Amino acid sequence: MNSIDDFITLVRDDLGLSVDDTDVDRPLGEVAGWDSVHLIALLTLLERGTGRSLSLPAALEATTLRGLYDVAVSG
Amino acid sequence: MTAVTVPTAVTGPAAASAADPADELLALHRAGRLAAAYPTLKSLLARLPEEDSVRAAQLLSRVGPDEVLHEHPGLPALTVAVTGHGTLSALVPALALEGARHGIVLRTVVSDFDSYVFDLTDPDSALYAAAPDLVLCLLDPVIVMDELPTPWRPEDVEAVLAEKTALLDALTARFAGSGSGTLVLNTMPLPRVLASQLIDHRSRARLGAVWREANARLLRLTETHPELVVLDLDPLAAEGVAVTDPRLSVYAKAHLSSAMLSRYAREAGHLARIVAGQTKKCLAVDLDQTLWGGVLGDDGADGIEVAESPRGEAFRAFQKVLKQLASQGVLLAAVSKNDLAPVREVVAGHPGMTLREADFVRFAVNWRPKHENLKELAEDLNLAVESVVFVDDSPYECGLVRHELPGVSVVPLDEEPARHVEKLLRDGWFDVRELTVEDRARPALYRVEAERKDFLHSFDSLQDYLRELGVRVRIGPVEEREMPRTAQLTLRTNQFNLTTRRLQAAEVKELAAGPDTRVLAVHAGDRFGENGLVGVVFTRREGATVHIDNFLLSCRVFARGIEQTALAAVLRQARADGAREVLATYRASAKNAKVRDFYPQNGFVPVTDADGELVFRHDLASVPPVPDHVQLTESCEGNTP
Repeated sequence: MNSIDDFITLVRDDLGLSVDDTDVDRPLGEVAGWDSVHLIALLTLLERGTGRSLSLPAALEATTLRGLYDVAVSG
Repeated sequence: MTAVTVPTAVTGPAAASAADPADELLALHRAGRLAAAYPTLKSLLARLPEEDSVRAAQLLSRVGPDEVLHEHPGLPALTVAVTGHGTLSALVPALALEGARHGIVLRTVVSDFDSYVFDLTDPDSALYAAAPDLVLCLLDPVIVMDELPTPWRPEDVEAVLAEKTALLDALTARFAGSGSGTLVLNTMPLPRVLASQLIDHRSRARLGAVWREANARLLRLTETHPELVVLDLDPLAAEGVAVTDPRLSVYAKAHLSSAMLSRYAREAGHLARIVAGQTKKCLAVDLDQTLWGGVLGDDGADGIEVAESPRGEAFRAFQKVLKQLASQGVLLAAVSKNDLAPVREVVAGHPGMTLREADFVRFAVNWRPKHENLKELAEDLNLAVESVVFVDDSPYECGLVRHELPGVSVVPLDEEPARHVEKLLRDGWFDVRELTVEDRARPALYRVEAERKDFLHSFDSLQDYLRELGVRVRIGPVEEREMPRTAQLTLRTNQFNLTTRRLQAAEVKELAAGPDTRVLAVHAGDRFGENGLVGVVFTRREGATVHIDNFLLSCRVFARGIEQTALAAVLRQARADGAREVLATYRASAKNAKVRDFYPQNGFVPVTDADGELVFRHDLASVPPVPDHVQLTESCEGNTP
C-alpha cells in the first residue's frame, strides 16, 4: 500500500464501504456506512496485507480514515 | 464479467481474472449485483480459497437481506439473534458468508455488548421481539476470568463456574418459556494463559478438571432442554484455531478471536441448514482414487490400494468414515466411470475392503456423464437432487457437476487421501438435531425400495403392481416416543410438504397435547416390510370446521395410495366427529410444486389464493374411499380433541 488512494480502495473493495477521497478527513462517525465494528476487520486485513503488526490503541484513537492510514503506514 | 484490479498490498500480485472467485465476487459487489446474483453465490463461494474468506465475508455483509428476498422471494430465510459476552461484531460478516454459502438468507440481529443475561431473562427483550429462529449466545473464558479475585485459586474458578452453569441452566429454561426456535450455547476452551498462572502441576490438574466438568455440565443441558444446542469449541481449538487474540481481547473486548468466530459461524451455518430443512440425505462417492487408490480398470482388483499399504491405510480410514455415516442413515451411492462387474466383485470379495454391498443403496457405475447419473440417482431414491453431496477427486468431474447441477454440494478431493476424511466432514452436510430409529434403518429401507422397483417392472400396469404390493396404512395420534421423528419429518421433508411449516419436537408435543389440535402419525408397510412413520397430518378444530394445517409424507413412499388413504381417513374422522367442512392449506415453497394439486385432485375445491397460499374446502358430502389396494387401520377414535 503506497498511498492514501490505495487505502481508500482497500476500504471500498475489502470492507465493501462506498467511500471516496472526499471521505479521508471526515470524522469517522460521518463516513457513510462506517461503524466502529469495521475497525477490527480493517486492522485484520491491513496486518495481513502489510505483514506487520499495527498498534491497536493508536488505531482506536484515530478519528478519520486518514488517521487510520497513518497508523497503517507508520505501524 | 469485467476484470478488476485488487490492491496489491492486501492480496499479493494483482493477477485478476474473471475465473477467480474472489475477483468475481468483487466485480459483483462493485456492480451492486450481489443481491441479484445471490442464488449463484453458492457455487462461486464453493470455489473460494480459505484465505479470501475474510474479504468475501465483509462484502457479503453489505448485502441487505430484504434486498435479496425482494429479488428472490423463494429463498429460505432465517432470523439469527447474536448475543453473549464481549464484542461479537466479527461474527456478523462471517455469518453472512456462511448464509450465502448455503443459499440461505440470514437476518442477523446483534444485541448490545454483554447483554445475554438480560436478553434471555426479559420476555420483552429486543431479542425475543425479533422472534429469531436461531439464538447464538456466545460464551468465552473471560466470563469466568473477569470474576476471579487476584490472586485466585482453583476453588475460586470452581465457584464461578458453578454459578455460571447454574445461570445458563436457568436462562435456557427462560428461553424455553419465552421464545421459540433454537438456542445455541458453546463450551469455553480453557486458556493456557489461565492454567499456566498456577505453577504447581497438582493445582493445574485440578483447574483442568473443574473447568472440563463445567463444560460437561453445559453439554449435558441438552439432555433436558430439547430446544438447546451446545457447540463444543474444544474440537475446533484442537484443529488449531486460536481461541483468543490477546490484543483484541484487551483493547476491543473481543474475547474470541476472529478466526474462532469464523469457525463458529461455519457451525452456525450448519445449524441454519438444519433449521431451514436443507439437510443432505445422499452421499454419492466416486470410486477410483476416492474410495481406493489406483484405477480398477487399469490396475485390476489386486492392484488397487485399499488396506495394507501407507496409501491403502488412508483409503481404509476414509471407507470407515463412510460406513460410519451410512450406519446413521446417510444413503451411500457409488457414482463411477467403470464397468459394473469388476466393481461388484471388489465390493463383494476384495479382502481389504471395509465397505460392502450392503453399505450402498445404489451403484451408478457406467460410462455416462456423472451429472446424468446423479440426476437419475436422486429420482430413483425419490429425493431432490439438492439433497445429494457428491465426492470426487477429479477436478473435471467436480466442475462438471457444479456446472450442470448447481444444487448438488460438491466435495472436491485431491491426490492426498490422508486428507479425504477432513474434507468430507468439513461441512457437517448430514448433521441433524437428533437421530431416530428410522434414520438408522433408512439405507436398508432404500435398498428394499430398489427391490420394489424391480418387482414393479414385472407388472403390466401400476394398478396390478399396487394390488400385489399389499400396502398397509395405520393412522392415529402421534405417540410420545414418535415426537422426535415427527419433528424431523417436518424439518427434512421438502417435496410432499403442503405448507412447509418446520417444527421442533417441543412444538409437536404442544400441538399433540392441545385441546383443539391433533397430530396424526401415518405408518405404512407392504409385502417387503415396514416403512415406519412416513407421514404426519396436523389438524385443528374450530367450531364445525376442521383445518388441515399441514400434511406431509416422506418422499420414499409417494404415489402408492398412502397419501389418498391418509386424507380419506382424516375426512372420514372429521365427518364422524360432526364437522361440516374441512379447510386445507397449500403454501408454495421452492420444492413442493408437485403437491399443489393434491387437495383439488381429492375432492377439495379452491376457496382463496393469495401470496402463494391456496386454501381449499371439502364439504364432507361425499368422502373419497380408501384406494382398494390399501388396507387401512385407524386409531383416531377415542381421542377426540
